[in-house]
Amino acid sequence: MQMLRSYRLLVTWQALRKKSYLPLMLAVQTLFTLGIVLGYPLLFPTLDRISIYLIATGAPAISMVSVGLVALPQTVGEQKTEGSLAYMRSLPVPRLAYLAADLTVWLAIVIPGVVLGIMVGAWRFGLDLQVSPLVVPAMLLVALTSACIGYAIASVLPYMLTVVITQAIVVFVFMFSPLTFLPDKLPWWFEAIHRVLPIQAMGEVTRGTIAPGQFTVPLEAFVTLGIWCVIGFGVTYSAMTRRG
Amino acid sequence: MNQVVGLLRPTSGSIRIDGRDMVADPSLARRLCSFQAQAQVPIDGLTPRQAIGLLGQLRGGTGRDVELRRARLMEALELEQWADVDAARLSGGVKRLVAFAMAAVVPGRLVMLDEPTNDVDPVRRRLLWRQVRNLADHGAAVLLVTHNVIEAERSVDRLAILDEGRVIAEGTPSELKSRLGAALRLELVLEPEVTDMPESPFGLAAVPVGNRVMVGVPTDAAGQAVAWAESLEAAGLVEEFTLGPATLEDVYVALVGGADARADRAEEALDANAA
Repeated sequence: MQMLRSYRLLVTWQALRKKSYLPLMLAVQTLFTLGIVLGYPLLFPTLDRISIYLIATGAPAISMVSVGLVALPQTVGEQKTEGSLAYMRSLPVPRLAYLAADLTVWLAIVIPGVVLGIMVGAWRFGLDLQVSPLVVPAMLLVALTSACIGYAIASVLPYMLTVVITQAIVVFVFMFSPLTFLPDKLPWWFEAIHRVLPIQAMGEVTRGTIAPGQFTVPLEAFVTLGIWCVIGFGVTYSAMTRRG
Repeated sequence: MNQVVGLLRPTSGSIRIDGRDMVADPSLARRLCSFQAQAQVPIDGLTPRQAIGLLGQLRGGTGRDVELRRARLMEALELEQWADVDAARLSGGVKRLVAFAMAAVVPGRLVMLDEPTNDVDPVRRRLLWRQVRNLADHGAAVLLVTHNVIEAERSVDRLAILDEGRVIAEGTPSELKSRLGAALRLELVLEPEVTDMPESPFGLAAVPVGNRVMVGVPTDAAGQAVAWAESLEAAGLVEEFTLGPATLEDVYVALVGGADARADRAEEALDANAA
């Protein structure tokens, strides 16, 4: 009962705090998506059908990952530095309620950008997407996993290191992760690394549920995401409850 | 304060509220204590009315009670004109008053306030101190950290003076002032070129603080003190002087000292006076 009441009040608090982020996040995510769906065809003027679908479905995946693994940890890192995270931790509410409320608000911020991203991709390439019934839980799982990992990074590392690592993640996600291309384009050893990391699974789940006619989602992708989500949440929760 | 609410673990000792161990049960500690931290509260995007109301409800207050108490606090702290303004547009001082109201709207058994007067203008500081006193008068224990010693003197029952993390004195304001051994305080502002401190004729501590010297004066020597200060002024050693009642700030200065008078020297002087 106290958990639910606290959760509801904290969602209100966090939503009011972050309401100014929403237009900014939408703008950033839209720019990401537009950059990908308009920019890639300029680089590669002749794209086959699979590549078009990969770009159209990769764009929303990249926008989710960039909010969860870059914008979120940088914001949480700032909150840690300015002492506002400590203030929230001093409130008489279960830490689980705080974490759940904050993640809820982050998801609410990221999802409109994802929907917009899917629409922009479909419009640019004139695709008739028949999305899977699993698309909503799948997008939530991808967004939540990115957010949990991002939260864990910011909770454990000092702010400056968080900034450096998130910048490295941007390059890694854009250039070296199979989101807008298939993993078999990578050298075998890099493919092996991506089988363990969550980003490839995020791409597989995203494209497999947005364009199920073109791609299938291996079950392992859901399992990999589930494991990373639990690890990210666990690390964050333990950092939240730890006394220095 | 961070140890009380379970953000830090004490290296030794215990913390008890109502006889219950707060180190063993930090979530109980957070329910029993309301806390205004020194850092500004994260309320940008919220209005003061929303922020105070949310905190009241998070502390378990019911709708009507929270509303009434919030209205009273906002009136007492003269916050009404900003009640519905986004906190991002408020000055640091007003924001701190809102943070105080958030801690006071449904106070716990213990209300902890870390530098609540920072950034607050002198007029509203008075309103704030009145509300701090009010919390204590209505049954909450109030633990307050401040550098604003003169103002705190009028509101606190007991205090401890800390220097570099150690308690160097504690007691009621009058107990601590009695350690000075002087009811009056003569403040001499030295001429810029004067470096040697004038010798006090009263046998009491003369504590340098920057270009000023605080000299303890017994009540019956007030006339003599003024005559001495005038003679220093005439000799061109002193620019101006003030004679007034000794304050808690004098105790603080004597114990902690200025940049050029550290605690150990001052305490020796104090102990000599008390003896």
